[in-house]
Amino acid sequence: MISRVADSCFWFGRYLERTEATARLLYVTRNLAMDAELEAKQCWLPVVIVSGEEPRFMARLGPQLSNERVGDVVEFYMSWDENNLSSIRSSVEAARENARSIREVISLEVWEAINEMYLWLGSEVARDEYHSARYSFYKRLRQGCQLISGLLRSTMLHELPLNFIWLGMLLERGSQTARVVDVHHHALVLHERTHQVIETALWLSLLRVCSAYEPFTKKNRGRATGDAVAAFLLFEGLFPKSIAYCIREARSRFAVIRPPDRTDLPGGLTQARLQALDRWMRERAEDVSLGDIHELLTHVVDEVAAICTGLSREVLGQAFVASAMESAQ
Amino acid sequence: MTSLFERYQTTAGTYDELFERAGVPRAGFDRVLSSLGASSADEFAKCQALAEMAMLNQGVTFSVYADNRGTEKVFPFDLVPRIVAAPDWNKLELGLVQRVLALGCFLDDVYGKQQILADNVIPRELVLGAKEYMPIVHGVRPAGGVRMHIAGIDLIRDPAGAFRVLEDNVRTPSGVSYVVENRLATKRIFPHLFEQASVHRVDHYPSRLGETLRSVSPRDPDESTVVVLTPGAFNSAYFEHSFLARQMGIELVEAPDLFVDKDRVFMRTTRGPMPVDVIYRRTDEAFLDPEVFRPDSMLGVPGLMRAWAAGNVTLANAPGNGVADDKAIYPFVPDMIRYYLSEEPLLDQVPTYVCLRDDDRNYVVDHLSELVVKAVDESGGYGMLMGPQATRAQLDDFRSRIIANPRKYIAQPRIELSTCPTWDAERRCMEPRRVDLRPYILTSREGPWVLPGGLTRVALVQGSYVVNSSQGGGSKDTWVQKEVS
Repeated sequence: MISRVADSCFWFGRYLERTEATARLLYVTRNLAMDAELEAKQCWLPVVIVSGEEPRFMARLGPQLSNERVGDVVEFYMSWDENNLSSIRSSVEAARENARSIREVISLEVWEAINEMYLWLGSEVARDEYHSARYSFYKRLRQGCQLISGLLRSTMLHELPLNFIWLGMLLERGSQTARVVDVHHHALVLHERTHQVIETALWLSLLRVCSAYEPFTKKNRGRATGDAVAAFLLFEGLFPKSIAYCIREARSRFAVIRPPDRTDLPGGLTQARLQALDRWMRERAEDVSLGDIHELLTHVVDEVAAICTGLSREVLGQAFVASAMESAQ
Repeated sequence: MTSLFERYQTTAGTYDELFERAGVPRAGFDRVLSSLGASSADEFAKCQALAEMAMLNQGVTFSVYADNRGTEKVFPFDLVPRIVAAPDWNKLELGLVQRVLALGCFLDDVYGKQQILADNVIPRELVLGAKEYMPIVHGVRPAGGVRMHIAGIDLIRDPAGAFRVLEDNVRTPSGVSYVVENRLATKRIFPHLFEQASVHRVDHYPSRLGETLRSVSPRDPDESTVVVLTPGAFNSAYFEHSFLARQMGIELVEAPDLFVDKDRVFMRTTRGPMPVDVIYRRTDEAFLDPEVFRPDSMLGVPGLMRAWAAGNVTLANAPGNGVADDKAIYPFVPDMIRYYLSEEPLLDQVPTYVCLRDDDRNYVVDHLSELVVKAVDESGGYGMLMGPQATRAQLDDFRSRIIANPRKYIAQPRIELSTCPTWDAERRCMEPRRVDLRPYILTSREGPWVLPGGLTRVALVQGSYVVNSSQGGGSKDTWVQKEVS
């Protein structure tokens, strides 16, 4: 498989996952802001922090933030802002642009679905829906992404390209979960004496952000303590949005891309790193306390970033570009 | 019942593809036209909108360089098919095969012994002075023995109903993806119409193209790796490049994906380098190999031409073909046919004045307002003067350009392009619009094959003769009728 194509597959998967994650995060936060007795800022600013956009956001829009306006400002920034590379609009455009450059690799159904979502988001219809029916706006985005995930699985050959797409989705999802848990955890630590009701509301909303509410209650009989929620989102091996699941699956996707016994193929360092992170997660699952969570999540986010960088260099052709530049000089 | 075609008027002095005269369909087309005409204007407008929406959703688009943001546009598609009767097509097919064979002989000759120049059939300076003549190709016999694997010959139909060749495209002709997509759209929207019409299929083009490309591989065709080389997603024909790669089930590559080692071409894959045998290249020659064409350019694959000359990779089409479709060489194609094949040309072409010749130039300069002038090295409707519609200033401008650089220009009388009924969305009725036709000819190791169909381009603007997509043109599905047995 052409390295450049693999790169586009990988990023198509990442942007698609990011679109869905952002749409879900905004929708859930909106719900939370409506019924929890929390300050609006306390609900909304974590959204910006999770996306890594806080410095830029505060520099541009910080001064105009009041508790009345913060929701609208954050939602607009995270949905539509063209200069925000994490906004839904940017993510959909990037997903579609990557898909367009691998048009011959993805199936017609997948292409149509991403293209229709892109065209819809650029239309007046989507703007109107955003203003008049925010819930269905986010729902449509989520469903669009879910439709594409399903089509990927059911209309494409289960071979290299699809594995690269999945790898991108899994790594993005794992680090999204890590960030979202970290931010919530942070908010709770800051307000150590937070009222029990509010704390529970926050943990439940965190579950909803990860569409984990029902799976969690099935596994824990409805008892939402901080420790239980965190452990579920971090380590539950059967839940497809948990960090442990994402890392383990990413590892097995990569083992298809580069079978571990094929030491002649590029990708050895990436493989070693993925294996190490997977093992590390399993060891940590044995005993975890809420106090260590921040350190653990930081490690996951940093490692995933390092794995992605290594992957681009070893497998996705970035090293070729570098060597071509050198030989051209 | 009233028909959508009830008020359709043909244009005086012009051949209409579907109607002999107002109210009288051409022989064999009456059934199709009566069922097509049976829908109401509302229904037809709805179908037309449906077809356009489907194309947009599927991303059947071309890119417009001038635009900044919304860089992709749908190639406007008109639902009224252009029908070609079986006997007309059969004649056309023979003529196209003949022409492609002669052009192939010409290229082999020009890049070989140059016998045709020695025999003074075509002026030597016209050939060797052509911008697209490539001295470095001289002496190279391409692997597989074919230079013009894919040709697109532009035809127009004169008032008498005879097809005439307007232009040859033997470098990287585009548009065939619309032939296949247009057919899909028509079938989806007018299934019943299709069953009645008995039309040749066109959807096997990609598999025929794949066979053609494999047949000219330097290695065993079944073991060969064939790729499509595209300039990238920003190229105006990117949709087509990805379409063809997808339909053939082969890799679509960009130049940085390829490299040459010891005169062999490889692609960079996630599992290391992999050898490539045949490249269907949709990039311009100038961007094939920076070692040869543009030393200053980062674009292209360094060493590609060496690998090709060594016979280790097949390039389709071969570099250097531009000398055969140069507009100044075009007037000599009938002579080529006589010279190489000892046959009379089966297809007419358009009488052409070559401005390099003194007599021709003097005539052209004196009769500019009656002629169509074309720059020989431009295409897509650019660098063109439509004399009868030009302003005085435009005429003066072209006159001085021709005198300054006669090699660069040819002139032709304006032929009344045939018309075909076309949906006019504003007037909400059928109107005659000018059309041309580009059939596609594939040449494998075994010889040429003509796709029964082709791209019908239509000038959507009333009174216009320019059918190019870049200048307000659209396209139609082309139906070649099967022979009645």
